[in-house]
Amino acid sequence: MSTTEKNSTGAMAVSRRHFLSGTAAAAMIAATAGVMVDGFSSAAFAAPKRGGILKAAFSADPAGFDPVRGPSGMSHVVIEQVYSTLMALDADAKPYPELAESFQVSDDGLQYTFKLRAGVTFHNGDELTAEDVKFSFDRLRAKDSGYSYTAQVETIDTVDVVDKLTVRFKLTKRTGPFLVYMAFPGSSIVPKKLVESGYDLNAKPVGSGPFKFVSYEPRSVIKFDRNEKYFQEGKPYFDAMEYRIIPDITALTNAVASGEVNFSNEIPPKDWASMKTNAELKSQTLEGSRYYWLIPNNTTKPLDNPKVRQAIGLAIDRSALVAGAFFGQATAIRGGVIPEWNWGYADIKFFGEKGEVAKAKALLAEAGFPNGFETSMTMASSFPPMMGMAPIIQANLAAIGIKAKINSMEIPRYWDEIWGPSKFDMTAMYWLSPLADPDDFVTNNYKRGMAVNVQKSGSAELDAILDEAKQAPSQDARKAIYKKMQEMSLEEMGIVPLVNGHLLIAHSNKLQGYVPMRTGFLKTLKDAWFEG
Amino acid sequence: MLRLIFTRLALFVPTLFAASVILFIVINVVPGSAARSALGVDATPQAIMRFEALNGLDRPLAVQYTEWLGKALRGDLGTSFQNRVAVAPDILKRLPVTLELAVLAFLIANLIALPLGAIAAFRHRKAADVIISALATILGAIPNFWLATLFVLLFSLTWPILPAGGYTPFFENPTRNIVQMILPSLSLGLVSSSLLLRIMRTTMLEVLNSAYIRTAHAKGAPESVVLRRHALRNALIPFFTVGAVEFGFLFGGVVVIEDIFRLPGIGSLVLVGIINRDYPVLLGASLVITVVVLSANMIVDTIAMMLDPRHTRGGA
Repeated sequence: MSTTEKNSTGAMAVSRRHFLSGTAAAAMIAATAGVMVDGFSSAAFAAPKRGGILKAAFSADPAGFDPVRGPSGMSHVVIEQVYSTLMALDADAKPYPELAESFQVSDDGLQYTFKLRAGVTFHNGDELTAEDVKFSFDRLRAKDSGYSYTAQVETIDTVDVVDKLTVRFKLTKRTGPFLVYMAFPGSSIVPKKLVESGYDLNAKPVGSGPFKFVSYEPRSVIKFDRNEKYFQEGKPYFDAMEYRIIPDITALTNAVASGEVNFSNEIPPKDWASMKTNAELKSQTLEGSRYYWLIPNNTTKPLDNPKVRQAIGLAIDRSALVAGAFFGQATAIRGGVIPEWNWGYADIKFFGEKGEVAKAKALLAEAGFPNGFETSMTMASSFPPMMGMAPIIQANLAAIGIKAKINSMEIPRYWDEIWGPSKFDMTAMYWLSPLADPDDFVTNNYKRGMAVNVQKSGSAELDAILDEAKQAPSQDARKAIYKKMQEMSLEEMGIVPLVNGHLLIAHSNKLQGYVPMRTGFLKTLKDAWFEG
Repeated sequence: MLRLIFTRLALFVPTLFAASVILFIVINVVPGSAARSALGVDATPQAIMRFEALNGLDRPLAVQYTEWLGKALRGDLGTSFQNRVAVAPDILKRLPVTLELAVLAFLIANLIALPLGAIAAFRHRKAADVIISALATILGAIPNFWLATLFVLLFSLTWPILPAGGYTPFFENPTRNIVQMILPSLSLGLVSSSLLLRIMRTTMLEVLNSAYIRTAHAKGAPESVVLRRHALRNALIPFFTVGAVEFGFLFGGVVVIEDIFRLPGIGSLVLVGIINRDYPVLLGASLVITVVVLSANMIVDTIAMMLDPRHTRGGA
């Protein structure tokens, strides 16, 4: 029962935010008092309305819709609408039960028992049962499944059907982010009978989510219809959704500005100001998990020296990056990469908002380079913020005597020649964490052997503390370890954290009740509706 | 006459074959990783190897080409790396969009170039000529994507009278289709008209100064007959030949224009193919563009031959 409460508090948080918006709260009071204020109540506040088509713009094409295969972020924003997961993440990335009605965790943290909602059906009419849950996870865990996120399911030992609506996961070791993993689009529950009959979910997905998949025109549009039998009664509110694929970002913002689409969460920082002044649009921004970092190659001299890397980190004027490359729509990272809104945040002020030239110079002298050195910085030209940051970083480094030449390269070449083989002095990258668990922010970057660890940094100690933090018995325990871990990461300075770019969302001002998610996902669209 | 057409047809196949070989080599020689482009920032070496094996990218180029050609001859252009969708049906569905855009733009270019070019020639070194020539130079110096962006800014955002993009099939809603096509075809057509205009003007000038026009005048033919029967017809032959080449350029120019106006044509396919190193898509789309350009050249050459009295009078 306690977990059902979690569900309702999650919903409360959403609705409270909505109610607090001035007139809405007043209208609410009026409505509860049974007073109807003419010409005011219905426009300023109303119960959610059915109808309308959400037309959202995206720049990327999806790569299939089978949860076991879809490796791309764009696949996931489709998958999350069509399927459901045992848990889901709320706007602040906290997990709450979705398909599960409640769950229990054993004291040793090795056993999770989920009680499923009764009467949930897939879009083809099949009932969703514990068998489907077991089938879905066995499918992800199978050898050669081709699943891209095997790390999320590697600690699952067995998945057992207890009864029709109860399923139990046994883990090989305590897994801190397990409930978050259960909310990941890859962990979507697929219809066992249908898949076993040879049906291809990759082309035409069938799940139990708020929207039914209708069609996909490659590089053009993905269409959804409302799921009339969605288990959250009354939801979703839109009759249908269209995800329009517009690869050119200028064309995308034009489509939003001209009202041809009514939603986008991919507004580039440079167009943010014009979106904000558009009377037809409502713009929303929040700090998510899209952080940028500078990558000094830890295996080339003189960048192999941690003092040199710290000097670089200190020299950078992060406030200038925020203003110059992000038009103000980013937050400077002062310490570890876990953002302030996340529970794993450690309040470490290692870097100043501005560059600290004297401190950086002293470190550089200590490392044996009082007069600096020459190096280079290779950026992927397809990422405008990266190209915007490069000259600022270059100027900051010049102030401490480091002459960094800027190279740029088109992205497919960049992957092949720079990123893949780790052939660079310095480069930069960004990443949007789809999980928003502290582990997801740090392990990829700092653990040795990870694909993203192209700087080749790390140590046995750092690996050990990352594992320890992931497996610690409680959130408080994990938080304490992540603090220590982030302090260590700044001592080592394998990568140089820069800024956290905000999520920039613009939508028709008729869209009501939409609460953006920290993860950049769009699960909360099912709670939004069109007014008028 | 017929023999000439057959010769052109016979040349078509080897030209296409050569083009496919060159395209295949160029596409594969351009540096960049298809696997990483498809798999993203956190792709593991294992995932990359699996991707390359799955798509046959780990084999020698000659083997890859032979296999691709064999399938292509049967109408199978493979599946996209990016979204696992079959390429050939996707291209077929997109071809009408690009053809419509290119033909409309070509029409606009000709509607501007033919009369203005002819007028400039008639009024050689007069005010009209100077103004038209200046206009041609300005249009020729403007990149079409810049003009397109300017049009969107002016006519979609500042004064919202035309849509900023999008596409509706002609047979679904003809009016909407044409309205949506105005800005894209204007941005392409205006820029293309520059070269055609200058060609029209020069060839017309040459013809007007030629001996047979003087003869025609001398024998007392009325001005309108001289212009229509003798001057215009002869000036059109080189104009058409250049026109065919320009149509090819135009067809290539759709790449960026389709992207700006979100037209689901072949051009936008080429662009995403390049950006993602999606070889099957890029190769398939480029090849279809080659076929269209070759066909256009052939048709225009045939028209030029028909206009040329030396061919129509029976002698080859």
